[in-house]
Amino acid sequence: MYKRLLDRLLRWTLSLDVWINRIYPADFNPLYYTGGLSNLFLTVLVLSGIFLFLYYVPSFNDAYTSVQYITGAVPFGLNGVPYGQIIRGIHRYAADGFIIAILLHFFRNWFTERFRFSRDEPWISGMMLLVFAGFIGVNGYMLVWDQRAQLLVAMTGNTLAAIPIVGGALRSALFGGTGTTNLLLPRMLFLHVGPATALYVMLWWHYVRVRHPKVWPPAVWTLFSLGAVFLLSALIPAASQPLASTGAAPDRLAVDWFFLLPYVALKYVTPAWLVVLAVVIVVYGLYIPYQLPETPAAMGIRDSGIAQVVDANCTGCELCYFDCPYNAIVMVPSPHPGVTRAAQARKELAIVLESRCVECGICIGACPFEALELPGYLEEDIQGKVLDACRT
Amino acid sequence: MSDVKPSPDRRPRIVGFLCDWAVSSEGLVREDGTMRDLPSVTLIKVPCSGFIRPSWLEYALKNGADGAFVCGCPLGDCFNRLGNNLIADRVVQMRRRLERQKIQPDRVGTIFYGLHEQAEFVAAVREFSDRVAKLPAPPPPAPARKAPAAPATPAATGAPSPGGPSRPGPTEGGAGETPSGAPPGQGGS
Repeated sequence: MYKRLLDRLLRWTLSLDVWINRIYPADFNPLYYTGGLSNLFLTVLVLSGIFLFLYYVPSFNDAYTSVQYITGAVPFGLNGVPYGQIIRGIHRYAADGFIIAILLHFFRNWFTERFRFSRDEPWISGMMLLVFAGFIGVNGYMLVWDQRAQLLVAMTGNTLAAIPIVGGALRSALFGGTGTTNLLLPRMLFLHVGPATALYVMLWWHYVRVRHPKVWPPAVWTLFSLGAVFLLSALIPAASQPLASTGAAPDRLAVDWFFLLPYVALKYVTPAWLVVLAVVIVVYGLYIPYQLPETPAAMGIRDSGIAQVVDANCTGCELCYFDCPYNAIVMVPSPHPGVTRAAQARKELAIVLESRCVECGICIGACPFEALELPGYLEEDIQGKVLDACRT
Repeated sequence: MSDVKPSPDRRPRIVGFLCDWAVSSEGLVREDGTMRDLPSVTLIKVPCSGFIRPSWLEYALKNGADGAFVCGCPLGDCFNRLGNNLIADRVVQMRRRLERQKIQPDRVGTIFYGLHEQAEFVAAVREFSDRVAKLPAPPPPAPARKAPAAPATPAATGAPSPGGPSRPGPTEGGAGETPSGAPPGQGGS
């Protein structure tokens, strides 16, 4: 059932690719670079965020005014921060781009089953990145301390309080006490910046098993994304809502559809159900890589076996080490010389880390010295098949 | 080139390596691996197009195939990572090597199509096959180890090639019933 659904989604994803490849050369298909686009937007966010951080004041009295000062809004006019309006717009729209790119990346890699084999770690770190990115985005809307921010604080508090037993404690921990306390904005500022730094730690985890990750999109798409963000921030200036009132929180929410979707859901479900839903989604997301059969044998495709290094032939040239997509090959100091003439002077020896090998055989194609083999699919087998093919 | 023989009646014999994750072979191949639409093309399934050693393409050419190609996922969308880009680069390098060996580089090729693009894949293979069919027969190879049925070219020095499998000129007209029944030299194992 799930498998059939996944097949259908894969078909749609690939036909979307085909359609886009008709417009662009395959090297420039933006859907092949969703990860790189996310990273690009994250970089833009960090740079513009540093700029905003220099001017932002995390206190109830000054937060709103400092944001108005950055953007040169009404009381300040030209006395505001130069280009502050543009930078704030960039920060806002790059955040939207970030979450779109992340979600595209998430769905694409889900539907094309790129969570298989040893890719569970990139998948799980990616889930963490997604959760953190959403959290940071919501925080950012609280920092402005306009009416929307106040409403968000109230809604978040209510949702957390709906968790049985620990809810109240969680709420106090997040907001520094019940209700809106003086600790709220400094804490939110830290929770905006701190996890943003943690994103880079998780990115390292995200990349650690990936050889040659496509960290940046092609230059065309870099320029296009930057241009789009600049253009949007100029055409639709990012603005605050009216200042948060000290009285009751407003009852209407100006929605940013990319970050505040869960809060829209609060209109239809009770806070307790929202919490349940969020937990289910995240836990299921973490479970995705383990849902389908893992090994090639269980999947019904060829079971070639872990790639094996032929000690006698390995020259320590590192070609397989560079090409292995999963960083499954490491070079170690050679314990003894090889047997063939090319291998006698070797300094290093390739070792396959079995837990990471997915039996794709890319190292076999990389090796010019016949020093790697898939035990279930040897070079002899291939040559036998070629001979058969030539005979028929 | 006096020996240009398009030989329209004879389909060139082609060996194709097909990635497991690229074009689905369901309904495309027969039991023995030949393609349903193009019986002269045999597909060999491999775990990834990056798995292919270019020497295997060469091996196919030297053992009686008229052409050899690799099919992988669309460039940029390797299920693993860059396997198809790697083989694309390697085939480009291999073409130069073939030129030096006086084998037409057009006899090897790469094709990149995704899982569901079977029709396009078949069309591309047909085009490849037609292109190979139009190529002139390659010059006769270095002397065969055993005297073949066709008169051997006296050009070489007579020293039998020690290791490499002999290449019994596959496209020598319609009568090119090459002695491939006897397994060629297994030197490359």
